[in-house]
Amino acid sequence: MTIKGFTRKFRPLEILTEEEVEAIHRGTLEVLWVTGVRMEHERALKLLEGNGCKVDYDEMRVRIPQGLVEECLRKTPSSFHAPARDSKNSLMIGGNTLCLAVAPGQQTVDLDTWEPRPATRKENYEGVTILDALPTVHFFSPYTPYFGFEHVPPCMAMLESLAARIRNSTKFQCVGFSNDSEIFAIKMAQAVGIEILGTCAIAPPLSFYRDAVESAFRFAEAGLPLRIISGQVMGGTAPATIAGGVVINNAEVIAGLVLVQLINPGTRVLIKDFSASVNMRSGAPAFGGIEICLHNAASNQIFQRYGIPLDNTTAYPNAKMPDYQSSYEKAFRVLTAGLSGANTLLYHGSVHGELTHHPIQAILDDDSAGMVGRFMGGIAVNDETLAIDVIEEVGPIPGHFLDKAHTRKWWKLEQFLPKAADRLTYPEWMNTGKKTCLDYARERMEEILATHKPTPLTHGQEEDVERVLEEARKYYKERGLITEEEMATYRKSIQSPNYPYE
Amino acid sequence: MSREVLEELRKAIMTYDCEGAEKWAREAVQRKVDPLKALDAMTVAIRQIGDGFGKGELWLPDLVGAAAAMTAATPIIEEELKRVGATRESLGTVVIGTVFGDIHTIGKTMVATLLTAGGFAVNDLGINVTAESFVEGITAHNADILAMSALMTTTAPEQRKVIETLKREGLRDQVKIMVGGGAITQEFADSIGANGYDPTAPGAVRLARRLMGK
Repeated sequence: MTIKGFTRKFRPLEILTEEEVEAIHRGTLEVLWVTGVRMEHERALKLLEGNGCKVDYDEMRVRIPQGLVEECLRKTPSSFHAPARDSKNSLMIGGNTLCLAVAPGQQTVDLDTWEPRPATRKENYEGVTILDALPTVHFFSPYTPYFGFEHVPPCMAMLESLAARIRNSTKFQCVGFSNDSEIFAIKMAQAVGIEILGTCAIAPPLSFYRDAVESAFRFAEAGLPLRIISGQVMGGTAPATIAGGVVINNAEVIAGLVLVQLINPGTRVLIKDFSASVNMRSGAPAFGGIEICLHNAASNQIFQRYGIPLDNTTAYPNAKMPDYQSSYEKAFRVLTAGLSGANTLLYHGSVHGELTHHPIQAILDDDSAGMVGRFMGGIAVNDETLAIDVIEEVGPIPGHFLDKAHTRKWWKLEQFLPKAADRLTYPEWMNTGKKTCLDYARERMEEILATHKPTPLTHGQEEDVERVLEEARKYYKERGLITEEEMATYRKSIQSPNYPYE
Repeated sequence: MSREVLEELRKAIMTYDCEGAEKWAREAVQRKVDPLKALDAMTVAIRQIGDGFGKGELWLPDLVGAAAAMTAATPIIEEELKRVGATRESLGTVVIGTVFGDIHTIGKTMVATLLTAGGFAVNDLGINVTAESFVEGITAHNADILAMSALMTTTAPEQRKVIETLKREGLRDQVKIMVGGGAITQEFADSIGANGYDPTAPGAVRLARRLMGK
């Protein structure tokens, strides 16, 4: 199997000394044993207590001893196979490979005003198609491209999202959890015969709500891989210092990892350092901050020591549209993640924070992602690339290299060619309407929609997806999570002749 | 004598000093300082902090720090108010919280603090608040305004549920309802029958004044 994703051919950037890594590790162990975490799940508390943890049932507080932490870190696979619907898209997550995924948005944006608005079903399905076509999108994260789309009740958003991604993409898929949605997500995956990556998200500081733990049990017991995420905001739900942020984040995700390894030893785990800092003006996360890159780089170094795959903070910009600010916010994140040894990063398509996503942004991100991938590929140094013989053959002016076979063979391997960048000369640019990368991205979007046909599901698989969706609709209706009014609108929308695509 | 206590109380809030605020609140009660004056001193301080935040001179940790100092002192003074049978003048009584299933606290706390600074009597029920707890809070505090926050598209519908519960309990007409949070829009607010929505914390204060006709 060829390794998908970007392989880093040089040592990762190390921003901490060995002593500093050790200090953070020891700090983590101290927090886990002295402060512990709150876990609102009796079965989990009993399991942890039975394995040597100190449990206070009144406070639902669990304190985890060092020996158990280190045993569970050892039990966690150092990399894992992430099989896709089409095996040519399967991934090995871990090691010196960076795999990029879609960054979601609650809504889409209007391309004239850049203001947010809800996505339609058609836009959601087309969004998936475009992402399926982009070569640097290695897998899909939950709620992508959109958290939901028109006429879908919120409790069905995750499952409708998964169904769209299974239908219109053959890449590896990941899901979140909300109101038992993971029960149906697992069923849908099993019916279609694929594996999906589940999620257990910790509520910082140091708290596990019941539904997150339930999701961990369901995925680990089904033998499926799990992402363990903590979404701290430094200065709000974590210390304002980066070192303190790394310690508490480490304690949170490792508590989750211990639980998962006790539920089912050897479970494939992807840890996510989803740190941000507080925008001290608005209270919202300052997603574009460079300090996040430092936090992620430190975590990357620590998880390389543990030998466990790590995902970094999703590359959400604070900018509201693809512009200079958006570009540097995204580019710093993906470049520092790649250089410091992140294994995955949600990158493509987010326009502003997790609030908006657009395929045009994803197409622009495909270029910058490709550039980072090229950088990580490093420099080939051998007799042929050193080119001593060619240099001797060309000599001083009037010699040149443009007509050499060596150039014809090598330039395309050395240069990365962005697909939507403006690389024209001034005269060409002025004579062709002064087009920008946004214009080129729009053209590429239209071209992909006209030409890319995602591999369809078989008739049987399609029936299975729809059967599970229908089962979930009934489940939520019975539990009162879909009102009569919502159901009527929803039913009407799914009776469209082009359902499920529009 | 009383002037010294009031000054210390004001200073404790201006310097984000919870222990100091609590200590000087107790001192105020012990020295029989008029509790209404003590509350005034604190409100002046928190308003000054709110203004500083509005002008961009102070930051969120300052705002929340001052709110915490105010929260430490307020119950002590309020108990004294009750004992002497005085009533507090305010623009209105607010019950505020983040809805059930949602544990985002920062935006809700900002609104609560700025409402306090703006002259409202605020009762913060915290995060993950069930419809039943909102009902209890509204009844217990005889609230004029219910303010609800939801940050996630999956928890926004909970605001509708709270409003429906209030209708069932016959309490809907007793309170004005304002909603906010990252997942809320004006359209959504209208669709669930809220009285108002604003996307920012300072805007929420203006909205609350408008709802009270002030």
